[in-house]
Amino acid sequence: MPAPAIELRGITKRYPGVVANRDVNLRVESGTAHAVIGENGAGKSTLMNILYGMVVPDEGEILVEGTPVPMSSPADAIAAGIGMVHQHFKLADNLTVLENVILGDEPTGRAGRIDFEAARTRIVELGDHYRIPIEPDALVADLSVGNRQRVEIIKVLYRGARVLILDEPTSVLVPQEVDELLKNLRRLTGEGLTVIFISHKLDEVLTVADEITVMRNARTVAHTRPAEITSRELAQLMVGSELPTPEPRTVEVRSEVGLRLESVSTRGRGHETSLSDIDLTVRSGEIVGIAGVEGNGQSELIETILGLTSPVGGRVLLGTEDVTEAATSIRRRLGLSYIPQDRHREALLLDATLWENRILGHQMHPPINRGVWIDRKAARADTERIVADSDVRTPSIEVLASALSGGNQQKLIVGREMAGEPRVLIAAHPTRGVDVGAQAAIWTRLSAVRRAGVAVLLVSADLEELIGISDRILVILRGRFVGEFDPAAIGPEDLGAAMTGADAA
Amino acid sequence: MMETRIERVLLQLIAPVVAIFFAALLAAAILHFTGADAGSVLGEVVAFGTTPASLVAVVNKATTFYLAGIAGAIGFRMLLFNIGIDGQYRLAVFFAAVVGASVSLPPVLHVTLIIVVAMAVGAGWAALAGYIKVTRGVSEVISTIMLNAVATGIIAYLLAPGRLAERAAGSNNIRTTPIPSSGWFPGFEVAGKEVFGFTLVAAALGIGFWILLNRTRFGFELRASGLSLRAAAVSGVNSKRMIFVTMVMSGAMAGLVGIPQLLGSSHQYGLDFPAGFGFTGLAIAILGRNHPLGVAFGALLWAWLERSSQILDLLGVSREIVTIMQATIVLSVVVAYEVVRRVNVRRQQKLVGRSEHVGIESGATA
Repeated sequence: MPAPAIELRGITKRYPGVVANRDVNLRVESGTAHAVIGENGAGKSTLMNILYGMVVPDEGEILVEGTPVPMSSPADAIAAGIGMVHQHFKLADNLTVLENVILGDEPTGRAGRIDFEAARTRIVELGDHYRIPIEPDALVADLSVGNRQRVEIIKVLYRGARVLILDEPTSVLVPQEVDELLKNLRRLTGEGLTVIFISHKLDEVLTVADEITVMRNARTVAHTRPAEITSRELAQLMVGSELPTPEPRTVEVRSEVGLRLESVSTRGRGHETSLSDIDLTVRSGEIVGIAGVEGNGQSELIETILGLTSPVGGRVLLGTEDVTEAATSIRRRLGLSYIPQDRHREALLLDATLWENRILGHQMHPPINRGVWIDRKAARADTERIVADSDVRTPSIEVLASALSGGNQQKLIVGREMAGEPRVLIAAHPTRGVDVGAQAAIWTRLSAVRRAGVAVLLVSADLEELIGISDRILVILRGRFVGEFDPAAIGPEDLGAAMTGADAA
Repeated sequence: MMETRIERVLLQLIAPVVAIFFAALLAAAILHFTGADAGSVLGEVVAFGTTPASLVAVVNKATTFYLAGIAGAIGFRMLLFNIGIDGQYRLAVFFAAVVGASVSLPPVLHVTLIIVVAMAVGAGWAALAGYIKVTRGVSEVISTIMLNAVATGIIAYLLAPGRLAERAAGSNNIRTTPIPSSGWFPGFEVAGKEVFGFTLVAAALGIGFWILLNRTRFGFELRASGLSLRAAAVSGVNSKRMIFVTMVMSGAMAGLVGIPQLLGSSHQYGLDFPAGFGFTGLAIAILGRNHPLGVAFGALLWAWLERSSQILDLLGVSREIVTIMQATIVLSVVVAYEVVRRVNVRRQQKLVGRSEHVGIESGATA
């Protein structure tokens, strides 16, 4: 039996406060497509970054074709024939495809001049060989997301990669592009290359992967093949025993409306999806889940509710108040809370202390707000309360937010957004990138505020999460709601199909 | 945890101390290589710099620097580079001098009017830059630099005999009409030298700035916007309004930069009115970490270096050595602050990591 293309043995990586990978073992046979799946925060990305030399593990070894290879930088990985296509593309928009592909690896001719012709020939050959056609002279800025991804793949192949790592390659693509990509991956493995890809989408994994490794809570917990497992079983493996049992839906939804959008439309800027004719009602004591592939209008929906984007048509109501034209601070004062998906960018002042972060978004609310003044004592006291109630692991509320691990930051944010009796809570991917323990705690808290009569809008890409805690699920596709489902009567497969529009036709 | 707070303050102090020490070392090395006796030069400089006359001059100069530093710090706190402090204060003090000389009012009112005019002109001039940033996205760095040039042009045009100025008797200086004594800000005597009365106002403004930043909702929103514009916007801060208001406040403060000099000693605006405090103010704001106390310290240090350097010519040493020192201080303090910031974050992460570990272990045994 030939040596596996890649073998990771006993990989451990610790970050302050978190173990991202704990004794991870992964064996990838040559010429196969190998899926690494797991929940957000399970340690997949860290593992891939280790394999690509971007992160150096504390323990363990990496074997390429049976030989241990020290991997301390991406240059080592490239030299060993390993290439990576990042989830967020690393392309220069104002350069052509050709220039992007050769960037950093330029073929030089006489007197150090770049031999563009040789490069062009190589790129066209690669495209023909793997049937991934690209136009070398197109400007990257003009390309669709799917085509940009092809450029990334060609870029990796151009550097002679035999092993390709793709980090959540389908999360940014529209359904047709996903099909195209999956076909391309098949062709690559057909030509003897090895593909390792990270995914959350079980249906894709089951169709394209030859082998599957499941990660949970920083460990590899299972290794299997598509023929031997169903997607339900895979989901169980991913979530493990922490799978939230859907609560019996005995909570009576009240009649009062927390949040209502009436035929709201927005005009997207640049690549953004615009909302068209969105109607949405979230009642007090109800969790409405919004399911969809990322980039189908979720962020525009959130921005519109927050008041960061003004709709071109329609009305936004908080309770009975029309806030279509109201500033974000007024909406906040009316009891709008928000748990953002990107906490570093939207929810935290990383260089400020925990108690100062407690003020953020509540600077207009008593007891912290007293007219023009901020009551620092009240802010500190309430931060102590959150730290105790939500089990935020910190030595003090005087430490900087950047010092906390992701899960603890998120617990602090969730505690803050639930303080001061919110009326409407928007939770966007509330458990993304947090460990399983924090995840369960956050779900429990969301259910608790629902019971307290808050109208909750849950935007998530995590199907188990949506099905587990929502009262209703709306599916968003290209800026429109395309379906409504009862979580008790739908499985992840059906929901996944609806999200990609596969069932709508 | 009090301990971390004290430690943090100490950590903050290390950076400027290291920077000054490094700059002094470099200055000594340069002195040495240019053949001067570094030890004796330093001794002379310190001796001259600590005479009572020098100290009073330092405080007066520092008052001007302090106002410029606070004007810079207000902008920096929200990541705005108000390069236009220079133009704002020159235009402000010019119009304040013109208005001050053209009215006759009782003493307190007269001074108040002059100050209000200065703040209004400075604020208005900065507001132009703020407005086009908010509405058109023009970087305030570019617009304020250009507005500096425009201010120079406006003053050059108006500061001419027959317009808003006159030729001073017996000199080549062209200046505005002197302000009558009801529009002077009385100073107080220390060691036979007069300290600007406006120094006290500057100190009060520093305290006010601290209270605004740390105790008010507006100050919190300002700091939050400076730390993360996006997070602040999500929390309910109107970023555009914040940018505009900050620019206006910085401009109003900048408008006061020339006031200690105008009200305390020259009482007129002329060709000889000192210019170029804008960049000094920014350097001092950086040195003082945009903190009112730090800026005060920076302003005093700057003023002291400038004052003491006057003796260097007499010692046959080039005075530019002080400029080199000042530049070295600013450059090395920026590096030192960043190093301290990283050390601090790492230290805190360790603390947090330890407590998480303890938490997990005690959780397991419970």
